[in-house]
Amino acid sequence: MFEILEHPSDAGILARGSTREEALIEASRGLTSIIVNPEGIALKEERAFRASGSDDGAQIVDWLNEILFFFDTEGVVLVDFAIDSWTDREIVGRARGDFYDPARHEFRTAVKAATYHQFQSQKTPDGWEIRVFVDL
Amino acid sequence: MRLEKIDDYRWLIPRTYKPGMLTDAVVFASERLLEAIRKDQSLEQAANITMLPGIVGRALAMPDIHQGYGFPIGGVAAVDAQHGVVSPGGVGFDINCGVRLLATSLKAAEVRPKLRDLVHQLFRDVPSGTGQSSQLKISDGDLDRILEEGPKWAVENNMGSEADLDNTEERGRIAGADPSAVSQRARQRGKPQLGTLGSGNHFMEVQVVDEVFDTQTADRYRLEKDGVVLLIHTGSRGLGHQVCTDYVAQLDEAMHRYGIRIPDRQLACAPVQSPEGKRYLQAMAAAANFAWTNRQCISHAARGAFKRIFGASVQMPLIYDVAHNIAKRETHVVDGKQRAVVVHRKGATRAFPNQAVFIPGSMGTASYFLLGQEGAMRETFGSACHGAGRVLSRSASKKGTTAKEIQKELESRGIIVQSLTREGLTEEKPEAYKDIESVVDVVHNAGLASRVARLKPIGVIKG
Repeated sequence: MFEILEHPSDAGILARGSTREEALIEASRGLTSIIVNPEGIALKEERAFRASGSDDGAQIVDWLNEILFFFDTEGVVLVDFAIDSWTDREIVGRARGDFYDPARHEFRTAVKAATYHQFQSQKTPDGWEIRVFVDL
Repeated sequence: MRLEKIDDYRWLIPRTYKPGMLTDAVVFASERLLEAIRKDQSLEQAANITMLPGIVGRALAMPDIHQGYGFPIGGVAAVDAQHGVVSPGGVGFDINCGVRLLATSLKAAEVRPKLRDLVHQLFRDVPSGTGQSSQLKISDGDLDRILEEGPKWAVENNMGSEADLDNTEERGRIAGADPSAVSQRARQRGKPQLGTLGSGNHFMEVQVVDEVFDTQTADRYRLEKDGVVLLIHTGSRGLGHQVCTDYVAQLDEAMHRYGIRIPDRQLACAPVQSPEGKRYLQAMAAAANFAWTNRQCISHAARGAFKRIFGASVQMPLIYDVAHNIAKRETHVVDGKQRAVVVHRKGATRAFPNQAVFIPGSMGTASYFLLGQEGAMRETFGSACHGAGRVLSRSASKKGTTAKEIQKELESRGIIVQSLTREGLTEEKPEAYKDIESVVDVVHNAGLASRVARLKPIGVIKG
């Protein structure tokens, strides 16, 4: 599950899962929900994700930025995420969704980037929690 | 935080406020604005930017300051060009987000009867850029030229004039831009978005000159009461966002090698003279040139829309185009000595003496045209503020009012609004921002920039 956090000028995502992978998948769903209403997005297109970085913060931010990249360059809205592997340097996975169609889908707001500002990725008694703020 | 009052418009955060501060910070604000500013973390962020190695003079907070990521929005920090650091977060994701103002040969009385048609035409002709919606199809070669040369490319492709370049900061081209410093991903994000407005707080407004305060300057720009102008606020779109993303990640890794410690990871930085710092500045310059070209292409489309509604004889000269998210190599006098510095302006407008400065207000209120003053050179590295500054978060702003209600309320005041999304209206409603009059009062009375004219919107186009 995820919730959208308040920020004086932008927005944040607090995502929880039983594992770090699940939390990242929730954070990804949260990010997409800021851009487009995810209801009714078909799973017709698949894109490969590869996110790198020196620590899990950099990797998570890089992963989330992949969502923005595919939306900006191809107009693909990604709603269904899978993580195949997560090493010290890299996350490899896939995401599915559909091309944005203004006639069928509700666009909300563009996101410029995921940031390191007040970023957290930590184990909790219930599993894992990721907090990330995005620049709108 | 306890601030030391300097005078009615200046407040000091002394360098003793917290460990690691290398200099003081000065906040330009009235007592009333300060109350609003204190509600978020922006003053802490202003204190944090004094920790950038090589900072010169004081860190500065403009009256529209609000909480950003690492850097506050409305923050200015100059660093030594030889020994300082450059921080992509001090520029922001929207590199060269900025404002341009075009005059028109039309008066309000001529425009009002066809205002709805004009707003619709502008909305059709200037795409928001959601997904891939640019009407311009450019080659990789075109993109290289845009990154290197800026809007000169647009002028050569019949989308503007030499006069447009003359009236653009840096003539729309920061020297030293290197297209090869811009990643393939940034190019892919930007290429389909040239000539698009974007969403969020980006907009285009048809405005009327409501009051002239400085007749001499207004005459120089052929502005008079009831004249119609067009204000365009946008930046470098996905290309700039990706350049910032790429270099925050690179500098985040690099700064550990340089032994730099900063209080917020989003302030990631590297020495200006390091390979990483130099490369970022080359890429940032390229993204800035892209942004000026973007605003030039939008101007061309907007001029076409005006001509379609009001005839081919309509004239729309560019008054000026100025960046408000940028790092610039400049020379300033600090403690009586000329210093070569890199000035980070994050949500702050360059305000050199006699240069046009634009401070857009919120949708439905007023915007201001000002002229930069000597005081800005003495105190703020030639900078003034860039807007009204948010007081409500986007989610708080959305509560309690629907887009339809906002649209209806604005229409009752003679303002026609067209927005791609409901959020474009609810998140940007007038109450979400500080009072523009109070912000401009501070800038004017502190001697950073002087009022020339107040502009009131009659037509708003939002992404």
